[in-house]
Amino acid sequence: MRWHKRLLVAGVIGALSLAASACAGGQVRGAGGTPQPTTGENTAAQPSQGQAAKENDATFVYAPNLDVVTDWDPASSYSNEIIAMSNIYEGLTRYNAETKKPEPRLATEWTSADDGKEWTFKLRQGVKFHTGAPMDAEAAKKAIERTMKMNAGAAYIWGAVDTIEAPDASTLKFTLKYATPLDLVASSGYAAYIYDTGAVDEVKDGKADAGTGPYTVDSWKKGQETELTLKAFEDYWGGWKPEQYKKVAFRVTPEITTAWQLLKQGEVNFVQRLNPQLFEQAGATEGVQATRTPSFQNLLVLFNTESGPTKDVRVRQALQYAIDYDGLVSALKGAGQKASGLVPPGLLGHVFGMEPTHDLAKAQELMTSAGYGPDNPELKLTMTYAQGDDDQKLFVTLLSSALKKINVTLQARPMAWNAQWDQGKKKGQDIFVMYWFPDYADPYSWFLNVFRSADKPEFNLSYLKDDEIDAAIDGLPRLTATDAGSAEMAYDELQKKIINEKAAVAVPYVQTYQRALTAGVQGYIDNPAYPNVVFFYDLKPAS
Amino acid sequence: MTAPVLRRPLPGFGDRFAVAGALLIALVVLAALLAPWLAPYPADEVDPVNALLPPSGAHWFGTDQVGRDVFTRVLYGGRTSLSIAVAVLAVSAAAGVTLGVVAGYAGGWVRDVIMRVTDVFLAFPALLLSLTLAVVLQPSVTTVVLAIAVTWWPWYARLSASAAASIAGRPYVDAARCLGVPAPLIIVRHVLPNSVTPVLVQLSLDAGGVILTAAALSYLGLGAQEPAAEWGLMVQQGQTLFTTNWWVVTFPGLAILVTAFAFNVLGEGLRNALDPRRIVK
Repeated sequence: MRWHKRLLVAGVIGALSLAASACAGGQVRGAGGTPQPTTGENTAAQPSQGQAAKENDATFVYAPNLDVVTDWDPASSYSNEIIAMSNIYEGLTRYNAETKKPEPRLATEWTSADDGKEWTFKLRQGVKFHTGAPMDAEAAKKAIERTMKMNAGAAYIWGAVDTIEAPDASTLKFTLKYATPLDLVASSGYAAYIYDTGAVDEVKDGKADAGTGPYTVDSWKKGQETELTLKAFEDYWGGWKPEQYKKVAFRVTPEITTAWQLLKQGEVNFVQRLNPQLFEQAGATEGVQATRTPSFQNLLVLFNTESGPTKDVRVRQALQYAIDYDGLVSALKGAGQKASGLVPPGLLGHVFGMEPTHDLAKAQELMTSAGYGPDNPELKLTMTYAQGDDDQKLFVTLLSSALKKINVTLQARPMAWNAQWDQGKKKGQDIFVMYWFPDYADPYSWFLNVFRSADKPEFNLSYLKDDEIDAAIDGLPRLTATDAGSAEMAYDELQKKIINEKAAVAVPYVQTYQRALTAGVQGYIDNPAYPNVVFFYDLKPAS
Repeated sequence: MTAPVLRRPLPGFGDRFAVAGALLIALVVLAALLAPWLAPYPADEVDPVNALLPPSGAHWFGTDQVGRDVFTRVLYGGRTSLSIAVAVLAVSAAAGVTLGVVAGYAGGWVRDVIMRVTDVFLAFPALLLSLTLAVVLQPSVTTVVLAIAVTWWPWYARLSASAAASIAGRPYVDAARCLGVPAPLIIVRHVLPNSVTPVLVQLSLDAGGVILTAAALSYLGLGAQEPAAEWGLMVQQGQTLFTTNWWVVTFPGLAILVTAFAFNVLGEGLRNALDPRRIVK
């Protein structure tokens, strides 16, 4: 969140604004006080200056709207710092959004055996950590074991791993409890980094890091406008070309309009998100390039299946019908596309033809049969959503205006993520709205985290409890690792059960990234598996 | 002995000012009251296909992000803002005047206790106190009314306390007391009617301030909530569109400006009109 006389209220609502967990919406910039502009040196980008063979000494400036780093530990990091961390740390593999396959990173090749229960990775030779220590199989084993042991953030991705062995310096062998697509797991944007376990305990203050990536921490000043700067790691295994960016700065810019002004003036090079109106303007502005990419992030509207009026499946179905999906997508003006099922397109298990329909007459019929509707007493439903998120607000406006017509009053409350999440865990609302995106390019987390039964819900905020669904979810990793066709069918069935039969959720749209960067930058690829990440190493100024 | 002659400042100016303010307010109030008849569209009718249309014959003030008619919402928003103002002023004047008159009439420790409590409330900047309250309570229009009223009543308490204290010493009050008239009756019959005039002026001066504060709270997300039509909320929703779709934020902003201005003009005019210096020849 973001918005308005921020500074005036910062002190008062400071307690409300906290950085969010990576996986869900409502991210608000922490009220870290007034950002102090630094001297221009870090922010003076000269993207058009470099020539192919000329040394590039310009700083690439990224303008995020939230705090850059909330957790420096590569094992537990699970938030906005993915943008910086992905350039400092590396995993065994990296997902390629175009080929839809994991590609070599610290591992050069890998094989699986025993029906996907045994995986062997060959590691790249001559890779050094920023600490100077060599990256070998023993180091990688220690890193993954530490991440698993800490069991924080997205560490669950290694849940299938039974033992890790390092038979020689370049071989890493995993034995799994159950079959899992481990090459995909290893490409995760969270909890899959290989780091120097000997140095990782000293990275918490952001003065150093323990990665192998192309960039290393230059300076970190929490709460400042230019919060973080990175510099090239000279001994990077990939080597350096003169035209690549050697310096990167993050300039926190909560206001979209400010970010846009800075971009136009060339003071920043990359703005991660513009609203549709500014995006349209960006497309027509000289010196600016605009990119639009479908994301893996969709909006989930989770209905309380355990208590309150939405316990009645007819009420939940009525709510599904009351959402004006086409109207919403039209109001989003390109920032989203209508969803079909729970899994966004581009991922395994995406179902075609499951687009939801808006039918207010049907909604009214269902409400009436449940004892509500125009001729019965008014139904009041409570809903929580992300404070400061304009897209979610559009959704809320459209839904409450539709529900009003069938005598349902929506008491929608915008909340800072942590407060909304805490209340959700206590089952304190009828409808919970949040974004979801996967930790690695696989649909499993939508099901395991969001819909598998849990006594103490974390992200299962529809509080769905169903043994059959649980059993089907538990079978997904094995199918994905061994039999993609059956996995598709299992995902298909699960989505129909959760959305149509149980009506635990409505999925209105999949977000479309609308970004803008200065025209003089080449090589940017928006990879939805790593949301908002720019791999600065791939960029160079246009010659 | 002659009283010093004070020059009458700009004869009639205050009255004309007051009349202009009153006319402007009458216009705003009428527009709000007649909103259902004046508005060209139903209040909350969304039409996402026609979102963000610029002002035109069909939509005088254009449409917002979900295709609602901004003109319609500005009219309906007046209802919210004015009723907040009326509610806040009623609550805070009732509480403030009651406490103030009692304090002023009773004097002694009663006065001390009441006035010290009043001072505690006055010690906090009004907007900050309202903000804190609004954050603690659930965001809603009722919250806004409560939050602002809590910061507003001390002014009325002070004002009426000093007025009441001067009345309490008058001979006719002494006379009533000597006749055995009970204190509550004296307060109601003699003290209250004679100490209420400055409060009335203050009320009209404050209405603008209340409207501004209410708009500020809603703007910060602590007041009226979607889909309610409220000026502050509308400004907040339109602000990121300011450079691309100016009309979404401009018209509700103008409505706040005009209304607050009108109340200030009326208050200023009333104060001039009732200024005792003007009556001295």
